[in-house]
Amino acid sequence: MRRNQKKHTGSENEPNLKGTFISVGVLGLIIIISWFGVFALFISR
Amino acid sequence: MHLHKYEKIWLISGVVALALFLIILGFGAFYLGTHPQSHGITIDPANIEAHEAFQSENLGLTKVDEDKYIVNVVATAFNYDLGVDEDGNAVKNISIPKGSSVLFQVVTPDVVHGFNIAGTNVNMMVEPGYISSMEVEMKQTGEFTLLCNEYCGVGHHMMFATVEVY
Repeated sequence: MRRNQKKHTGSENEPNLKGTFISVGVLGLIIIISWFGVFALFISR
Repeated sequence: MHLHKYEKIWLISGVVALALFLIILGFGAFYLGTHPQSHGITIDPANIEAHEAFQSENLGLTKVDEDKYIVNVVATAFNYDLGVDEDGNAVKNISIPKGSSVLFQVVTPDVVHGFNIAGTNVNMMVEPGYISSMEVEMKQTGEFTLLCNEYCGVGHHMMFATVEVY
């Protein structure tokens, strides 16, 4: 049991989240860029 | 609690974005003075003429100072009352010099209307019982259409006027 837990939390056995990170990163960038686009439009008008 | 390295990066960027947006919101509210267009200033919709600004001779564009104007409007189904010209014709076109600061004050005696000068930041809802107001600086020259963007009835599409910034 203890051995299993250790295996789960050990960094060498972490799930690979690279694809997840890239996809949420792209989504976050789209949101931030469009937010600042609208804000710039509001300030300039 | 164990967090994956990428989760930590994502959470930190989320907190930073939240802080940034709150700072900009505070800047808008306290430095630029942005506020809701109808912020609790009431008027009796059955008797709007009791308010000095909305008496027929005070409607439309009024110059109050150098580069400072007031526009008082009564929005009804389906018209914007911007006062009358010297010949007694209804005003449907107002001209404002570029860079001037304009205070728009709008009321309605009947239903909810919109007050949008397309292409500018002037965009507000006009509700019976409230005075909607906003002060803007006209930064760009051009001819803009003032229109109703809240569906107010069968003549909704006929509710418009022109604002020229020169």
